[in-house]
Amino acid sequence: MAILLGLLAPFQIFNDIVLRIGRALAIFCIGLMVCAILLQVFFRYVLGNALPWPEELAIFLMLWMTAAIAPSAYRRGGFVALEILTAALPTRAAAVLALVLLLISGAVLVIGAQMGLGEMNSLAGKFKSASLKYPTLDGWEKMPNSWQIASLVTGLCLLFVVNIELVLRNIITLAGGGDRLRSNLDAELTVE
Amino acid sequence: MLVWFLPLFLVFLMIGLPVFFGMLAAPGLLLWLNGQERDLILLYRNVYNGMASFPLMAIPFFMLAGELMNRGGITMRLVEFSQAMMGHFRGGLAHVNVLSSMLFAGLSGSAVADTSALGSMLIPAMEKEGYTRKFAAAITAASSVIGPVIPPSGIMIIYAYVMGESVAALFLAGIVPGILVGVGLMVMVKLQADKHDFPASRSKASWGERGQASLKAFFPLMTPVIILGGILAGVFTPTEAAAVAVGYAIIVGMFILNTLKVSDLPDVFMRAAMTSATVLLLVGAAMAFKTVVSLSHTPEILAEFILGLSENPLILLFLINLLLFVVGMFLDAGPAIIILGPILGPIFVDLGVDPIHFAIIMSVNLTVGLATPPMGLVLFVASSVSGERVETISKAILPFLAVEIFVIFLITFVPEISMTVPRLTGFAD
Repeated sequence: MAILLGLLAPFQIFNDIVLRIGRALAIFCIGLMVCAILLQVFFRYVLGNALPWPEELAIFLMLWMTAAIAPSAYRRGGFVALEILTAALPTRAAAVLALVLLLISGAVLVIGAQMGLGEMNSLAGKFKSASLKYPTLDGWEKMPNSWQIASLVTGLCLLFVVNIELVLRNIITLAGGGDRLRSNLDAELTVE
Repeated sequence: MLVWFLPLFLVFLMIGLPVFFGMLAAPGLLLWLNGQERDLILLYRNVYNGMASFPLMAIPFFMLAGELMNRGGITMRLVEFSQAMMGHFRGGLAHVNVLSSMLFAGLSGSAVADTSALGSMLIPAMEKEGYTRKFAAAITAASSVIGPVIPPSGIMIIYAYVMGESVAALFLAGIVPGILVGVGLMVMVKLQADKHDFPASRSKASWGERGQASLKAFFPLMTPVIILGGILAGVFTPTEAAAVAVGYAIIVGMFILNTLKVSDLPDVFMRAAMTSATVLLLVGAAMAFKTVVSLSHTPEILAEFILGLSENPLILLFLINLLLFVVGMFLDAGPAIIILGPILGPIFVDLGVDPIHFAIIMSVNLTVGLATPPMGLVLFVASSVSGERVETISKAILPFLAVEIFVIFLITFVPEISMTVPRLTGFAD
C-alpha cells in the first residue's frame, strides 16, 4: 500500500500544480477570446474596417483553453458517462470495471497523443498561419500551424497524466486503501 | 465489418465509458481490426478540425453570458418581474417559476443553470408559502427544460454545427415550441393549484408596481432582443452575437446594476471554460464519429431497417420520438444529439421531413429527457438544491412530463409550430 501511495503522490502533486496553471490559462484564454471577437465586431460594423486576425486568434485561444482546462474537468468527473451499471454493481466489481474503463480511456489518449505528435511534425504543422504573427528580433514572423496543433496534443498528454492518477487511485481503492485517499475535488477547491 | 462500431460503441456506453472516449475507441478499434490503420489518422484530424471552428465558439460565449447574468443577480430581477405579472394567480409562485424559466431561457440556454439558479431562490420561497417541497422541486425541474428550447440554445448550436444547419434558423424554430411548453406547464399548474388549493403569492400588482418591476428587469430582458435582433438583422453572426451578449452581461452586471464584482470574474470564467471544454471535446469526437458513420454506410443500413417497419413518415416520427425519449432518460441532450443526429438526421430528411423541423423534434424531445427519471440531470440538480429525494421528485414531476410529452407530439405532427417563424423571417423554405 505504501508503494502505491508513494507512486500516486508525484502524480497528485504534478496535477495539483499543472492543472491549476491550466485553469488560470483557460481563464485568460476565454477572456481574450471575448475581447478579440468584440474588437472584430467593433472594427467591422462601427469602423467599417474588418481586421484579419481576431477570428483566427480566437480559434487558437479556444483550442488552448480546451486543452488547458479539460484535464481539470476529467479529474473532477466532468466527462459525461452513463453510470447505471457502475452504480448497480457491488463496490469491488464496480472498482474493477472502473479500472477497465480507465485503461481503455488511457489507450485512446496514448494513441491520440502519438498521432498528434505526428501531425505537429508533419507538413501541415509546418504551414504558417494566415494572419497570426509573433515578434522576433528580426521583426514579425508568421506563426507555424504546429503551435495550434500542439494544443490538442498537450491536452491529451495532460489528460493521460490525470488518467494515470485515476488508475492508481482505483488500484489503491481495490487494495482496500480507499480511506487513505484524499478527495481530488476538495483538494483542488481548497487550493483555489 | 465496420458497421459493428455502433453496437460496440453502445456496449462501451452502457458499461460506463465516458462518451468522449467511447466515440473514439469504438470506431478506432474497428478501423484497426478492419486493417484500415491509415484511416485512424482521419479520426484524429476530424477531432482537431471539428474543434477548430469559429461557429462552435458560440458555445463558450453563451455559457459565459449565462454564468455572468446569474452571478450578477439578474435571476432575482427576472423573478421579481414574473411575480409582479403572475404572482396574484392561484398557485402564483408556481406560475412565477415557469415564467421565470421562460425569461431565463432567453439569457442562458441551459436547463441545469436554470434549475440551480431559480431553484435555490424559488423552492424555499414556495415551501414557505405552503407548497410541498416535492412539488416545488418538480415544477422547477420541469420548467427548466424550456432553457435549451427558447434561444439561445447550446444544444441547437451543437446540432447546427454537427449537421450543417443554420444556427439562426434553429434558434427561430425553437421560440414557439418553447413558449408552448411554458404555457402547457402553466395550464397544469392551474389544474393542480385548483385541486390542492395552492395560495396566490401576493395581491394583484398595480400598474405602477408592474412598471417598476419591468424597469428593473429591462436590461436583462434586452439580452435575447440584442442576440436575436443582431443575428436576424444580419449585424452579427451567432458567434459574434454570443460575444456581444458576454460584453453586455459584464456591462449590465458591473456598471448598471452594480451587482457583479471584478473578483467574481475569474470563477465565472473558469466555470464557463470548464463546461465548454468538455462540450468542445465531445463535438470534436462527434465529427470523427460522423466520418465513420459515413464510411460504414450506417445511415443506409438503419434507413433500410426503419423503412422496413413502416413507410409512413408520421408513424416513423412517432417511433423515433419513443426512441429519443428512452435515450433522453439515460443520456444528456448534448451527447445524445451528437451521437444520434448524424445517424437519424439524413434518414428523416430523405423521408421528406424538413431538417429544421427534425432538429427541433430531436432537441425538444432530448431536452425533456433532462427532467425524465431515472437519469435526468436536472432531477439530480433539483434534488441537491431542494434537499428532496430524486425518487420523490420523479413521482411529483409526472403530470408535468405528461404535458411536455403532449407538446413533443404536437411539435412532431404540426410542423408549422416550429417552421412558421423561420419561414416568415426567410430562414427556411
